[in-house]
Amino acid sequence: MAMACFDRASPALKKTLLELHSAEKPVEIDQHIHEFNAVRYHIQSSDSEPFLAHLSISTPLLSEEFSRSHGLSFDAAQMIRDIRTDDAIEIVEPAKEGYQLTLRIHLSKIPRRKESVKIIAQISTVQAVLLSSQLKEMLRTMNFTSKEQVHAVMHKPIRLVYQQREPFFVIRQPTKITAVFPMRFKEDSDVIIATAFFQELMDVGSREGWAKAPLCTWSPIPPPELRGELLEDLSTNCGFVSFDITARRIKGKKLDKMVWSLLNFHAFVKHHVKCTRGFIQRRMRKRLDNLIEILRNKGGPEEEEEEEEPNNEPGGCGCMRSLAGTSRSKATLERRRRSLFSNKIRYSIKVRGWVRFRHRLSKISKFSPRLRYPKLD
Amino acid sequence: MASTLRLYSTCIRNTLEAAMCLQNFPCQEVERHNKPEVELKTSPELILNPVLICRNEAEKCLIETSINSLRISLKVKQADELENILTKKFLRFLSMRAEAFQVLRRKPVPGYDISFLITNYHCEDMQKGKLIDFIIQFMEDIDKEISELKMSVNTRGRLVAAEFLKQFI
Repeated sequence: MAMACFDRASPALKKTLLELHSAEKPVEIDQHIHEFNAVRYHIQSSDSEPFLAHLSISTPLLSEEFSRSHGLSFDAAQMIRDIRTDDAIEIVEPAKEGYQLTLRIHLSKIPRRKESVKIIAQISTVQAVLLSSQLKEMLRTMNFTSKEQVHAVMHKPIRLVYQQREPFFVIRQPTKITAVFPMRFKEDSDVIIATAFFQELMDVGSREGWAKAPLCTWSPIPPPELRGELLEDLSTNCGFVSFDITARRIKGKKLDKMVWSLLNFHAFVKHHVKCTRGFIQRRMRKRLDNLIEILRNKGGPEEEEEEEEPNNEPGGCGCMRSLAGTSRSKATLERRRRSLFSNKIRYSIKVRGWVRFRHRLSKISKFSPRLRYPKLD
Repeated sequence: MASTLRLYSTCIRNTLEAAMCLQNFPCQEVERHNKPEVELKTSPELILNPVLICRNEAEKCLIETSINSLRISLKVKQADELENILTKKFLRFLSMRAEAFQVLRRKPVPGYDISFLITNYHCEDMQKGKLIDFIIQFMEDIDKEISELKMSVNTRGRLVAAEFLKQFI
């Protein structure tokens, strides 16, 4: 799915950093980039510090309560360490006011080869790492909770907000963790298309061969685990989608993919609904063309008459001209007969029933106007 | 099921053949005006009895005739909510482009999904048999198209769902 919001790397940030890196002379820049879901970047580079750029990143907190106590996550710090080449990137402590992370990037230390594109692409994904690390930490903490604590925290959903007005919940249960997404759409047709999609999602997930995927369920009413939550969070028009996450999914590389998929679930569904509406529109347009073509085909042999006499065409759309040409007036029949014997008409299109029609007409017109009768004295 | 469709189409065809006997008739209310009487319904002597042909509870066809015009209203079957919105969208799409069909009404009659208005001028410009053929084929094509659209939407949903779940594997 080639959609900007599903890419981890920010395209605007990547482009700006590549331009800065490839500039031959030091460039002074003070640029703010705002992206969807309240993501902000601030890039600064001045003449006094050539080939040195400061990048500040602000990403929404999924859960205020959880993130405050953990600061910069282990995953984010590890990722920044991994992309450091010759200390090209340093973490600035403390971060700039209003931002969660500030990086100092030594552009001159980034190699000027194809690797530079890869490194800059990795820097552009820092925001995605910051965001997904919050959920990863949360899931790991929930998973390693002791049995006594499980009983205490069970049935206490954690409310996470990634996209504005679209919270989702994560609930710890004895053998699994459940992520519940309340779904809302503005239009009724979107609700119906999305509902059909959720039913297919449930159907596909329950088949053989998909045992490794988390179990997906959809219900029109809130699950019992969400009892006690705010009414505005539970009032939806498209039901609730739940994913059951088992312990083996919270290990290794699978966790990263799963977390990113869950964070982008709302955007994914909305993108699918939008594409489906476009698909329906395209099909309708094509069908309209077919229906109009049917009208034209029903016109049949009368179409050739229009080439000779364009002035007599009735008003309206061209698609009805052929049907309109089937007038039963005698003058029209006479004109038609004359046109059949005219050498000017070239039949480039094969018309069904034409041979039979011509044969019938030739039987009618036995009188030839060229015949001359001898004058009687 | 195909047999009931054939019977339904045949019944509509025969009724249309009988009803489509239209002639020019100037308006009796307003001088120098010529209006389709089936729309106005101001003079009961010019309006014939409407005929309602029902295939089942969900599908029906109303044929209203007058001296100079004929109105055909169709109600298409809608088995579930998805078919309901697809039918609404598609028929609204066609109605908005009514000038391409000339005999199509821009707004359907209340209680129906799509309506045609055929006047004596249409009968003069076009062949009666072909008009009737077009309407019958239009009716059959709409049913087919809605079923295909529904199947396509469900197939798309299934493919997208499979792609989404693949990320977890």
